[in-house]
Amino acid sequence: MGKNKLTVEKLSKQFGTNEVLQNISFTVEEGEFLSILGPSGCGKTTLLRILLGLETAESGRIIKDGIDIAGLPPAQRGMGMVFQNYALFENMTVLGNVEYALKKRGGSKKARSTALELIERVGLSGHLSKKPRQLSGGQQQRVALARTLAVNPDIILLDEPMSALDVETRLALRSEILDLQKEFGSTIIYITHDQEEAFAMSDRIMVMHEGVIQQIDSPHKLMDQPANDYIRAFVIHNIQVKIDSLIRYSREAK
Amino acid sequence: MKTSGKLTAVKGLLLIFFAVSVLLPLLRMLARMTTVDIRGLLVSGPFLAALKNSLVVTAVSTLIAVFLATLLSWLLERSRIRFKGLFALLFTLPMLIPSISHGMGLVVLFGANGLVTGWFGLKGSIYGFWGIVAGSVMYSFPVAFLMLSDILRYEDSSPYEAADVMGISRRHQFASITAPFLRRPMLSTLFAVFTLIIIDYGVPLMVGGQYKTLPVMMYQDVIGLLDFGKGSVIGLVLLTPALVAFILDVLNRDKLTLSFVARPFRVRKNRLRDGLAYVTSGLVSLAVLLPIAAFLLLTLVKKYPSDMRLSMDNISRAFNMGAGANLGHSLVIALVTSLTGVALSFLVAYMTARTPGKLSKILHLVSLISLAIPGIVLGLSYVLFFKGSLIYGSLAILILVNLVHFFASPYLMIYNTLAKLNEHLEAVGQTLGVSRISIIRDVILPQAGGTLAEMFTYFFVNSMMTISAVAFLATAGTRPLSLMITSFEAQMLLECAAFIALLILTVNLLVKGLFTYYRSRKERSAYEPDQAAV
Ligand SMILES: Nc1ncnc2c1ncn2[C@@H]1O[C@H](COP(=O)(O)OP(=O)(O)OP(=O)(O)O)[C@@H](O)[C@H]1O
Ligand SMILES: [Mg+2]
Repeated sequence: MGKNKLTVEKLSKQFGTNEVLQNISFTVEEGEFLSILGPSGCGKTTLLRILLGLETAESGRIIKDGIDIAGLPPAQRGMGMVFQNYALFENMTVLGNVEYALKKRGGSKKARSTALELIERVGLSGHLSKKPRQLSGGQQQRVALARTLAVNPDIILLDEPMSALDVETRLALRSEILDLQKEFGSTIIYITHDQEEAFAMSDRIMVMHEGVIQQIDSPHKLMDQPANDYIRAFVIHNIQVKIDSLIRYSREAK
Repeated sequence: MKTSGKLTAVKGLLLIFFAVSVLLPLLRMLARMTTVDIRGLLVSGPFLAALKNSLVVTAVSTLIAVFLATLLSWLLERSRIRFKGLFALLFTLPMLIPSISHGMGLVVLFGANGLVTGWFGLKGSIYGFWGIVAGSVMYSFPVAFLMLSDILRYEDSSPYEAADVMGISRRHQFASITAPFLRRPMLSTLFAVFTLIIIDYGVPLMVGGQYKTLPVMMYQDVIGLLDFGKGSVIGLVLLTPALVAFILDVLNRDKLTLSFVARPFRVRKNRLRDGLAYVTSGLVSLAVLLPIAAFLLLTLVKKYPSDMRLSMDNISRAFNMGAGANLGHSLVIALVTSLTGVALSFLVAYMTARTPGKLSKILHLVSLISLAIPGIVLGLSYVLFFKGSLIYGSLAILILVNLVHFFASPYLMIYNTLAKLNEHLEAVGQTLGVSRISIIRDVILPQAGGTLAEMFTYFFVNSMMTISAVAFLATAGTRPLSLMITSFEAQMLLECAAFIALLILTVNLLVKGLFTYYRSRKERSAYEPDQAAV
């Protein structure tokens, strides 16, 4: 850690008259886990789509490893994305999903062995020939992760990857994602609505509101030194949530 | 961006296609009206009489057809009788032959020399008001049956279970759960059936007798008197109910949300209800099969009723008069229409369902417009617009007119399928370095296979049996099989006409059968793990 991986400078985006992102600037370090928190419609997904190249910004620069990538097509940016609701290929098997892009890019033999390895790594070796519909939500999420990892991106973007899962699966997947990150040395940008999740997983958290970054800091700093009233209310709410869950936990333990 | 530029270009081309194949011909027809004394025509006695006839006979037929369809779909969806699949197939059989043959069925059974008339020594005439009602109900109730069956199948049973638990009476349940649930679909069905009947001229032409309706008047003005101006005015009048239905439909469509997690009904035992279901379904099946059996008898005996020996005379006469060549025309038209129709509606639906933007919205609306244009109106406007062009008088114009005429329904089928697939598939492809075309071919098309087959069947069956649009456009060298029914009937060769109806039914049944087989195989394999992949 410590090396600068991604720098975003003064990024702005409008849809019609709707200013979704206003002069967004931030940096991400190599191997960092950055979460993005913020109310619905504040521009989180739009930001990721711009980073990926699925959407173009009106102004601003995106610099990755010292190079401005704003003009590159998505596949050449070395970023992978896990989409909301997984967006798996329903007509293909687990293996088919993971090896599809590799095969398309040439090298059928290599594709198969890479895919098998990744599937093994996310613990789905027993489900190779199943279709996505035959898998649980958590298993589908793992397929989506493996499919993204297959093309070897060094930055992985995740858009509310757990929103459709039950609590237990979420907890299990948390540590799995962190393990994978360590193993592959990936940099992760992670959108979530779950503050608890963000506080537990992240090196730093970015709080967005109305197209502006309110604060970007470590979980601790966010609690100790909230930058403004919005963050203060936000953090107090988070503490409230934690106290509530502690009380519930102690009740259940009795 | 470059790709969005390409998409815009494709959408633009598609809009131009619809402008040339739908909008301009219609405008041409409207322009034609300026040569007519419109006001004089609209208040003339014959016109007003035909208008009144059309409205009355359509209203009565619609009510009967929808009542029958409601009863039958309810009995099939909410009873425990066996052979439901067979009954459903029989009920929709009338959709596979031209409407005019339903009129013919009535003549064959109940006409002056009819089979039933002869056996029972009946007096009275099938020609006129009740003849039209009977024929119209026959060919329109399957449409209503399919629409309502679909609605009932996906009704959620949980409100009823909750009501049962709370001890709410059946009558109250109907008033507070069933009625509100059915109101909107029922209205859609009524409108659909009404427009279907009011623009049809097959049945009234055959059994209308002195009871003349607007489409018959238009048909006779155009085909008989070559009075295109007057035909255009009537065409515009016929366009109105369909246009109203269309606008209501578009306004309602977005609000209509079927819940797909609906809990299916668990039907309780009820002897009385099931008995009623058997009797009703049996009677309706009989009513459907009777004319077909009559066609068969008429075809296979030398001369009903005077000479009852089995003979191939009628069949060979039909072939001598060109049935073989016309069957060839029909097959070519149906096949090419289906293939190009499936490809075109897939392309349009891909654009409208999976690439957002203003152009997509316009394209979507324009695609649905063909739903509102009666075949007879489309046919006339094509005559006026394409006369003198290269395709006029060729098979191509028949293919084009069918393509446009039947475009909306298959388009909606594939639109719904594509809109349901995850919206990010193409974006996933982009981030993985896989092109849009590859995603379409490898991910989207395989998941749309069932729908594509259904669309193909729809285009094919309808192209095989349509009369309305092609009647104005066919020449001796391009005439489709269905038009032989009209001409045989005009020459009093009912036996040959009956044979043609059977021929069309056979081809359509084959295609439908192939589709059903394909779908059942697909459904079975959908949940099996894919062994080939490992
Ligand atoms: N393609 C688009 N065209 C027009 N407006 C858009 C488009 N995509 C997003 N928007 C608008 O931009 C704003 C930000 O959307 P975005 O999806 O980035 O929000 P978000 O923070 O991800 O919200 P959520 O938490 O609900 O996912 C919203 O007001 C949305 O309506
Ligand atoms: Mg979002």
